Amino acid sequence: MSGKSLEVSGASVEHAIEKGLTELGLERDAVNVEILSDGSRGQAEPGAPARVRLTPLGEPDVADDGTADARTSAKEILETLLRGMGLRASVEVLPDAGAEDAHAFVLNIVGDDLGVLIGRRGETLRDLEYLTRLLVTHETAKSPKLVVDVEGYRTRRERQLRELAKRMAERVQSNRQPITLEAMPPNERRIVHLSLRDHPTVKTQSIGEGDHRRVMILPK
Amino acid sequence: MNLKDLVEYIARTLVEDPSQVQVNMIESASSVTLELRVAPDDMGRVIGKSGRIANAIRTVVRVAAMRQGKRATLEIV
Repeated sequence: MSGKSLEVSGASVEHAIEKGLTELGLERDAVNVEILSDGSRGQAEPGAPARVRLTPLGEPDVADDGTADARTSAKEILETLLRGMGLRASVEVLPDAGAEDAHAFVLNIVGDDLGVLIGRRGETLRDLEYLTRLLVTHETAKSPKLVVDVEGYRTRRERQLRELAKRMAERVQSNRQPITLEAMPPNERRIVHLSLRDHPTVKTQSIGEGDHRRVMILPK
Repeated sequence: MNLKDLVEYIARTLVEDPSQVQVNMIESASSVTLELRVAPDDMGRVIGKSGRIANAIRTVVRVAAMRQGKRATLEIV
């Protein structure tokens, strides 16, 4: 049986979630979080409180869309793979804050010595994610929006890339000379393109083929 | 769970006919070769477009073998 939803307000989304979790006595991965209003950010008036709806993930019931189910299977599948790989690691399920789909989630692997799971330029991690998604799809007959991360590596990398893009854009703007970044996989190039999409004075394009594809930042 | 169980688990989940999944493991001191057999109709489900699925399985197997200090080869036969 799925528990009843709870709506809470707080100074920020994080505060509201924390408050709700305390009230429910549940951990973050035991609830589905819907952000009803993110407070002063977005369209809400400045100073408006953030509102979230927390729905405890229990056994799926009729009204459930199977999200809880997919999360549990995904966690178990990834844990099985990790065990099979001889790694001592656990998996935490987190909401995917950056995704548009509220059902999207992140499977974050935590443990010691997990660099082996990331691999060169994150290639191992990408393969592990692809395989996990495939196995979950076969097991649950649904295609969940899931991301596999190791100790927050992707989140950190994304932040680095945004900062790099910003810095390089400033340089292009002042020198009026294009800059080509190092070769990156598609998901990383995408982060650079998106972070400079609305830049007033520079534009981006990808050049090169396959593994050598690079983002070029050039004056508009 | 050893390497053979790992490959079996992955293959059985991906195929339509799990009863036809067979894994043969040949181990030496420094390497391990895994031969994966599936029903003919299921070949595509473990290989994928341009071998993408097979390569993802290979990556996982390689990490697992590395933990035992070995090199791994996965053949789909």
